Amino acid sequence: MQQRSGGWKVINNWLGEKELKPFKFQQDAWKAYLQGKSGIVNAPTGFGKTFSLFLGAVIAWIDAHPKDYSHKTKNGLQLLWITPLRALAKDLGRAMESALQELNVPWQVGIRSGDTPVATRAAQKKQMPEVLIITPESLHLLLAQKEYPAVFKHLHTVVVDEWHELIGSKRGVMVELGLSRLRGLCKDRLKVWGISATIGNLDEALEVLLGPYHSDGLIIRAKLKKNIALKSVIPHEIENYPWAGHLGIRMLPQALPIINDSQTTLIFTNTRSQSELWYQALLREDPMLAGALALHHGSIDMELRIWVEEALHNGILKAVVCTASLDLGVDFRPVDSVIQVGSPKGVARFLQRAGRSGHQPGAISKIFFLPTHALELVEAAALKAAMEQDLIESRMPVLLAYDVLLQYLMTLAVSDGFHAHEIWEEVRHTFCYQHITEDDWQWLLSFLTTGGEALGSYDEFKKVEREGNFYICRSRMMAMRHRLHIGTIVSDAMLKVKFMSGGYIGVIEEGFISRLSPGDSFTLAGRNLEFILIKDMTVLVRKSNSKRSIVPSYQGGRIPLSSNLGRMLREKFNEALSGNTKDPELIALQPLFNLQEELSHIPKANELLIEQITTKDGYHLFVYPFEGRLVHEVMAALLAYRISRIQPITFSIAMNDYGFELLSDQPIPLTTENAKQLFSTENLLVELQTSVNSTEMARRKFRDIAVIAGLIFQGYPGKHKANRHLQSSASLLFNVFKDYDPQNLLLKQAFNEAFFYQMEEARLRETLERIAVSRIVITTPQKLTPFCFPIKVDSLRDTMTSEKLEDRIKKLITVNG
Amino acid sequence: MVAEIFHFQEQHWHLSPQRAIFWEEEKALILSDLHLGKAAHFRKAGIAVPAGIVQEDLFRLQQLITQFLPERIIIVGDMFHSRENNEVHYFKLWRQQFSRISFDLVKGNHDIMPDAVYEELQINVHPALTLRNIHFIHEPCEDNNGFAYTFSGHLHPAFVMHGAGRQRLRLPCFYFGRHCGILPAFGHFTGSASLDPEEMDPVFVIAGKTIIRAQ
Repeated sequence: MQQRSGGWKVINNWLGEKELKPFKFQQDAWKAYLQGKSGIVNAPTGFGKTFSLFLGAVIAWIDAHPKDYSHKTKNGLQLLWITPLRALAKDLGRAMESALQELNVPWQVGIRSGDTPVATRAAQKKQMPEVLIITPESLHLLLAQKEYPAVFKHLHTVVVDEWHELIGSKRGVMVELGLSRLRGLCKDRLKVWGISATIGNLDEALEVLLGPYHSDGLIIRAKLKKNIALKSVIPHEIENYPWAGHLGIRMLPQALPIINDSQTTLIFTNTRSQSELWYQALLREDPMLAGALALHHGSIDMELRIWVEEALHNGILKAVVCTASLDLGVDFRPVDSVIQVGSPKGVARFLQRAGRSGHQPGAISKIFFLPTHALELVEAAALKAAMEQDLIESRMPVLLAYDVLLQYLMTLAVSDGFHAHEIWEEVRHTFCYQHITEDDWQWLLSFLTTGGEALGSYDEFKKVEREGNFYICRSRMMAMRHRLHIGTIVSDAMLKVKFMSGGYIGVIEEGFISRLSPGDSFTLAGRNLEFILIKDMTVLVRKSNSKRSIVPSYQGGRIPLSSNLGRMLREKFNEALSGNTKDPELIALQPLFNLQEELSHIPKANELLIEQITTKDGYHLFVYPFEGRLVHEVMAALLAYRISRIQPITFSIAMNDYGFELLSDQPIPLTTENAKQLFSTENLLVELQTSVNSTEMARRKFRDIAVIAGLIFQGYPGKHKANRHLQSSASLLFNVFKDYDPQNLLLKQAFNEAFFYQMEEARLRETLERIAVSRIVITTPQKLTPFCFPIKVDSLRDTMTSEKLEDRIKKLITVNG
Repeated sequence: MVAEIFHFQEQHWHLSPQRAIFWEEEKALILSDLHLGKAAHFRKAGIAVPAGIVQEDLFRLQQLITQFLPERIIIVGDMFHSRENNEVHYFKLWRQQFSRISFDLVKGNHDIMPDAVYEELQINVHPALTLRNIHFIHEPCEDNNGFAYTFSGHLHPAFVMHGAGRQRLRLPCFYFGRHCGILPAFGHFTGSASLDPEEMDPVFVIAGKTIIRAQ
């Protein structure tokens, strides 16, 4: 093939002039591409994964137009490049443009994202560039335009970059749906490729990308290994009561030497609030960093973020404190060290972050693990072991997301309208909706046309009109509202933050601001701000000199431990207990383990530890399965439910990645005799459902769903007054659906999300089976143990009760009486 | 449904778990924040909240009327949610069963329909209302306004109770402040806001089918 392809020669010559040779996986990808195949390229960042597919398309183009490829322009959109992050688009575009220029191929490369100016969009509408780099949301916005099929008339290739990032999320579902439409439009000529880092379920990722019925997809593996050097920063002093509350700030002096010894350091934190705190603390600790230290997270103004990214590129910055916002792709050459503050909670994420340093092929990625509390050192040891064994997590694809499908159908309705038969065929051939029933489909259509269960003549529901099998939205107002709404796959209502005097700072969660009073100070984008008022969906602030300010905490902050890491963690505890460990992390923790053993017990791999402790707060029951927050949340609900059937009792429930707590105002009737029974798998499915339904889990899931499905009115610019009457909270909607429309599919989805993914039922069952053959060790420590302490201080709590409401109230009144 | 009789300001107030007060001396049923037409308003805008909420709210009002046989109904504001829609017409039909009962609406911030509509619905609209020196006005007053007592709505009050074992319970309530009492929202499709009452002020929470004095 190589011999016959003129394009291939052109590329080889070009690379040869630069004294470069293509990697084997790049050549494999070109070959497969030229054969008309679809698939996934699996390669780490920094090895030219972009060119493995981009150049494939260029080769094919040169082959098809050997004589005039160097002056053929205005060819229409050929290649659509989907990327999860807007920040990546610019970099990528630049790399493609310079390659095209040197190859003398006069293709245009365009970018389409939320930041693309109106003028550029209009120009693109007239003449699409040959290559368009786009986010999943912007792709759906294209599908929401009138006469959108014309845009894709010449399209033959779609590449989905960073597919591993998208696959486990509803944005991934947006990609699946977008692809299903493009396949419908372009038929067989469409080639679909993904680019993915290594994940545990790469084969499944291929199936999600191409649909469960695909026949000839293939995976091209780069077989290149990144050299990663992981070093834990071990605290000078191990505290006996590990507490995540100080967010690792105490360890900050030990981070400074790393920053000083490196050219540029990225400091990854797990939450935005943590990054704000670290930024402030670093400046306090080392004022010399002023001007050379920057902050980067998802709530910061776009322009500022772009500036930070450019400055990173150019090597102006010494260090950047960031969150997952800098996890992806962009190539920052000057970065030679990465500090991970707190546990990354998963092997894949850790590898990704490590890869941000030493971005050149062959370079060593240096990453320092800085624990926020002592127990996290065990996680560091577990991470190291998991990395050595290549235990990389799977990303579970989202199934039956009715909310995203409703949004998508509305998108098609506001552009040209859609024929239900045609779209049904496309949708049910996607991975996400392969098990959708005809009944569900009819329900979704009627939800859009009649608003679900209607009440005859009194109903004035208006959204999508039905003409036989054709569905269309003719209201310009609703179409406009929907277009503004696409892309709000975010969890909470975010408000803009602006100075009184003008000047945009960033966005903040509505829930946070609603707890502030005017005059309170808070921190955003590294600044101290005084809250003045909320006006027209904007938070107005002025600079604050207050020493005390509140750092907003964001809902999305808690990442659960992956199952792989959980298993490693149990092994490491086992190892620590054996006393002959070589891990420096475990050795450092010996005093803490000694205290745990003295007060209670350290569970071996075949044991389940339960601690019963009484404090002035009440009666605590701590259970340590080491299975991660998600499994613990459901397990706690299940155990609480089962105990509550023994006698009327009310629990408040808390959990972390190591274990969970049931807290009650009365002694908890769990004994050596009934413990095994309380953890049995008998009747599991039914009892799980009941226990999940009686907590707030589904209600929390419903927030996202209501926003995505368009039930939460977000308002449109310039029309605030009239909209006030359309405001309602997701929680209120959840209540009215539960009471008046319990069969609603969106409600069902909320329960499913709480039930199936969250708890990963299979994983829970495995855990219970493991417990069934384990020895249950119940201790009654006289005071709090190192293990239980971090759980007890957690304030995020759920409730489970079997007491009568009146009895509960009467008890509460007596207590306060 | 058993109402709790609260003797206050030398009057008898029957606090019903159906979210209304029956004023015995005046034979008046007092309620607030119905937000009739809210669901229809949403549905008209393409937001598919369940239909049928209005029927349930009005059925509850009907039950209260049958139980207490009031001569008048005082609504302390936000009777209707927004502009006129079909749920308002539904109310008009419903209203005909009780043509002898007078409806007195103390205007709230949501009551924005033209006067003629209220007239047609046989609703007397007042900016505020005073009976036996008891004052009714939609938005609560902070200070003494010269009347013996004031009833308001607007806030959709809820009361939060904390207890041992980090327990927490939040329920809609009737609140009797020093100068001003606040009624729970009557409509089902309404949210609520937590109150922070003075320690000595009476608070009655709605616990399913009963009323319990919480402080």
